[in-house]
Amino acid sequence: MKKKTPAFAVLGLAASLLASPLSAQITEYVALGDSLTAGFQSNCLVQRNQLNSFPAVIARTLGIADFQQPLVQEVPITTPLVPPNSCLGPAIVGGAITVVPVSTMGQPLNALLPRPYDNLGLPGFNAADLTQIKHGNPAGSGKEQTAALILRNIPGFPLDGTSAVDQADILLGPASGPTLVSLWIGNNDVLGAATSGIVVDGVTLTTAADFEAAYTAIMDGLLPSTRLVGANVPDVTAIPFTSTIPPVLVDPATMQPVLIGGQPVPLLGPGDAANPCVPTPPDLGCPLPPGTLVNLPASSLLAPPLLLGIPKAAGGSGLPLPHGSIDAMGAHPGVLLYPDEVALLRSRTDEYNATIAEQIGAAGGALWDTHGFFADVAAHGYTIGGVTVTTSFVKGGIFSYDGVHPSNIGYAVVADQLIQTLNAQGPDVFPRPDVASALFTPNVSPFAPSAPASVERGGAWEYTFSTWQGVLDRFASSLGPMALPEIPRAAPPSRPGRTTRSVSRTGVDR
Amino acid sequence: MTHRPRVALPRVFLALVVCGWLLAAPATPSGFQVMTQGARATGMGLAFTGVADDPSAIFYNPAGMGFQEHFSIMIGGSVLGRKKADFEGADPFPGDGTSGSVQKQEFVIPELYAVVPLTSELNFGLGVNSPYGLGLRWNDPEHWVGRFISQNAVIKSLDVNPVFSYKLFPELSIAAGADLRFSKVQLEQNTNLGIVDPFGGQVRDLAHVKLNSSLTSNTGWGWNVGLLFKPIPDIGVGVAYRSKINVDFDGTAVFTQRFTGNPAIDNLVAAQLPQGEHPVETSIEFPASLNMGVGIELPAGFLLALEADWTEWSSFSALNIHFPDGVAPDKDRATLWKDSWAYRVGLEKKFASGWAVRGGYYYDNTPQPEKDVGPILADNDRNVYSAGFGYNTPQWGIDVGGLYIRFKDRNVLTESTDNFFGHYSEDAWVGTASFRFSF
Repeated sequence: MKKKTPAFAVLGLAASLLASPLSAQITEYVALGDSLTAGFQSNCLVQRNQLNSFPAVIARTLGIADFQQPLVQEVPITTPLVPPNSCLGPAIVGGAITVVPVSTMGQPLNALLPRPYDNLGLPGFNAADLTQIKHGNPAGSGKEQTAALILRNIPGFPLDGTSAVDQADILLGPASGPTLVSLWIGNNDVLGAATSGIVVDGVTLTTAADFEAAYTAIMDGLLPSTRLVGANVPDVTAIPFTSTIPPVLVDPATMQPVLIGGQPVPLLGPGDAANPCVPTPPDLGCPLPPGTLVNLPASSLLAPPLLLGIPKAAGGSGLPLPHGSIDAMGAHPGVLLYPDEVALLRSRTDEYNATIAEQIGAAGGALWDTHGFFADVAAHGYTIGGVTVTTSFVKGGIFSYDGVHPSNIGYAVVADQLIQTLNAQGPDVFPRPDVASALFTPNVSPFAPSAPASVERGGAWEYTFSTWQGVLDRFASSLGPMALPEIPRAAPPSRPGRTTRSVSRTGVDR
Repeated sequence: MTHRPRVALPRVFLALVVCGWLLAAPATPSGFQVMTQGARATGMGLAFTGVADDPSAIFYNPAGMGFQEHFSIMIGGSVLGRKKADFEGADPFPGDGTSGSVQKQEFVIPELYAVVPLTSELNFGLGVNSPYGLGLRWNDPEHWVGRFISQNAVIKSLDVNPVFSYKLFPELSIAAGADLRFSKVQLEQNTNLGIVDPFGGQVRDLAHVKLNSSLTSNTGWGWNVGLLFKPIPDIGVGVAYRSKINVDFDGTAVFTQRFTGNPAIDNLVAAQLPQGEHPVETSIEFPASLNMGVGIELPAGFLLALEADWTEWSSFSALNIHFPDGVAPDKDRATLWKDSWAYRVGLEKKFASGWAVRGGYYYDNTPQPEKDVGPILADNDRNVYSAGFGYNTPQWGIDVGGLYIRFKDRNVLTESTDNFFGHYSEDAWVGTASFRFSF
């Protein structure tokens, strides 16, 4: 027996290794990224949602004690004019579910933290911004305001002159134990073009070469960490904001395409360079080619009284839906993405993702294929414990009320996917997060909509035009302030009777 | 699905069905197979293929009939019950600290065998029994954390197995038969219909779905053969094979709304929830099995039986639920089961008075991979201990046997088809009694 003991000991050791794989206790976790890392939801960044950001979920799951975020107070809307960074929530307007502003961002709650935040998710930032924005300004552009809030690199303050990557290094440098970095950046390099409907290469859309340079600068500037997990850029043409409304007329009562002569009725647009338009009277726009994406803000344009994009023969105005453009007067957002624009957004995303895969791989990191994962979820939903959640707007569960950012459920799934990605690479086997709580715990604003009577209708797809303004302000800020297209607005709040009466007749006049 | 054989059931079997005397069993032997089809075999750890010397041979090895010279009838039944069947959840779903338990139901399954000698070489036998069954009804079904997968899963079966044996030589008997299987499946679950409450951002129970099919209208055919070789009277070597049986099920799906109290959601659900009964189809490929055993008469009235059983569970590779009218999305689920082996040993001590005592043990490997383990069926390897006794004369006999089934605990922590993680523990028992009359 004695002779065999060493062999048994080796076997026993191997067995115990298999049974309880080593899982290092991460002492410092830095989450670097954009709004998706910040825990941005429903058009705002507030404590209620930040506590459920995917980095917060990961930190909780991994037992990281001192994970600090730039928490922001959530306050009720008190002004008659709805602030652009309002949190969106659901309301019943005229018997239908509509997304409305429910609260807004108040004061920072963690501004005195004498070190950088561990969650360095910067809403609106693209890849270049992570290394280049070194000075914040509470009264500056959207990005400068974000920097002032989260990086606190305001002139005169201790962190002035530091970029997001610099601040990550400040945290990683002195860390005494194993460190973890998550890097999910590049979404805003393509998202602004999609949400503004203005697809201009090199202006709203980062070129592949610029993206590679920006990503290289991040990786070069970032100190090595024990573990690194990267995430690539999902298909922005498959999020609810871009994929909910079909390019054909839909009966809002049944949400099925209206058929005239057995054929669906294409909506009208002004055309673009690849789709030249010579309108056929009485319509002033041309039928949208198949594959055109109609963004969610079109919901209220398609509804009465405007009936934009609907041919006169189908009871509409005959006027085209607006298509985004830039000219000497500035940027003009639109609600259409023509097939050539969709193709460019997709191929550019693929180019970004090739860069991300290469550089994360070269750094020895694990890569979560966000793009592939969300494509699968968009096609089949995500089923966990028999519960199915989907990417449908408002009712699907994965996305929040702005149609762009995930919900608590979506972020919990993201955290789980990132941990699984790390575990697949090994050698750590980290515990998986509690997704069930996100599924079954309500997430509602403590504040009711400020003035429900003044809430504008969102049309058949529950999306109001002014909601779009908030999305534009936050994500297209590199172009400066963007004004909504000058289009007669929906029924004014001073005529509530009319609002109520016409609410069920959105989209088509039958 | 298109053609269903119509079978005129002899009255006695119809009577059995009507009495509801039969039916489901918990998942005690591996998978959802039920091997306790005779009390002597049960007492001997189900090692009976090389023995097969009473009418339950029709199930264990029909070639054993060849060595039986009298018209005999055996009736009996088994009661199957769970001592416990508990679940403890883990992250990511349903989460650490959650739990559930299975109702401690008892299931009764019948057995009936008749051996009819036709000539000195040729015997006819008829068996009616229930070799497959499953019953997993979770407690507190409206709050049980696995309710979106299964609140209640049932498989019932009733086999009618006519078989002939022929004694080729005094030492060798062979047998072949046909196996008609009636079967029923049922699955109950809650669903969120792919919707998340837009007002709270959380999942609600929006409807209950019951999928059900009738026992008498879903059938499949198979066949079985056996061989028993007794080179000397004290030694029997047996081999028995049963073919796989595919049963296509036509059933009904009924959707019942679960109200949330929020009229906006309830109206939304009411508008899209299917009304009335809708057709649903599935099929189960019940596995083939090969049983190989020896029976050795030892001095002083001892009988030793050894056996190795192989079951082709890899044929149960998928459970696909199809809604022909498109009322709900099809549910295709790969089950990925593996072929499994069980190893059995049994011992009987006969006394001159006619009494006998028995004991046995077997180890049964689960065919179910960790990935497939879930609220519909959570199987695992198990150690099984058996004991029994009986009193037999040439004219009649009574036997009683029992099993105590200790499942190994099963952890589902890395891979799960259902994305449902946790820890399953189960203990179960079976009691079997048989009465034999020979003429």
